[in-house]
Amino acid sequence: MSSNKDIPRSVLSTETFRCVRCGLSVTAHSPDGARRNHCPGCLHSLHVRDRDGGPSECRSRMAPISIAVLRDGDWMIVHRCARCGVLTSSPISGDDNQLILMRMAVRPLAQPPFPLEPFGDL
Amino acid sequence: MARRKQPRHRPQKRKEARQGWPGRRDTFRCAGCRLDVPLDAPGTAHRNHCPHCLTSLHLDARVPGDRRAGCRGRMVPLSLTVRPDGEWMIIHHCLACGELGANRIAGDDNALALLRLATRPLAGTRLLAGARRAG
Repeated sequence: MSSNKDIPRSVLSTETFRCVRCGLSVTAHSPDGARRNHCPGCLHSLHVRDRDGGPSECRSRMAPISIAVLRDGDWMIVHRCARCGVLTSSPISGDDNQLILMRMAVRPLAQPPFPLEPFGDL
Repeated sequence: MARRKQPRHRPQKRKEARQGWPGRRDTFRCAGCRLDVPLDAPGTAHRNHCPHCLTSLHLDARVPGDRRAGCRGRMVPLSLTVRPDGEWMIIHHCLACGELGANRIAGDDNALALLRLATRPLAGTRLLAGARRAG
């Protein structure tokens, strides 16, 4: 199969998984070729890997809680396991739900613990 | 599964190792800016980060105060998250082992540093690139 070499892996792979929260059937590879670990529709994930890469016994649902920004400007999603409370971070893929991403990015500013008006003068 | 409504004020986790055993100092020195920080914080019993630069130290594992991490690396603030009851939490990232941890903000935390952290996703170049593509 020499012709397969220039076809990206995301096209050749037919592997799918089902989202634990919204039930969407999702391809295991994102359009940019990387392997997914969260549903692009609701951004929820499954706790199947530990931080060091080994399999985890928890297998519970992980909810997205915040957006972290890397030094080069890329966004990461921080997930929190609903059962054991472990936090993990994973890179976003190109077809992730932009509405939920933006909602998580602006949520701290929508619910500030102190008034934000004084910062307008800075 | 039915989604229960979150209680308005969640009780803080009980601390097994209470600060203040004999000979224990009541301040700690920040690993980032060397500020001497008193352990008593307004609004929280679990102060684990410097109120000036928000840097923390990787000491506790799951329960606040258990001192079971065994890493002692410096933890820098990575992002902010909001609990369902509206409390802000800082997510720290350990520079030594890469572990993430969350801690509630204290009443005397530096508001400017918190706001810089909150606006970091919106200040980057990712949104600018998207706006250019859209029009």
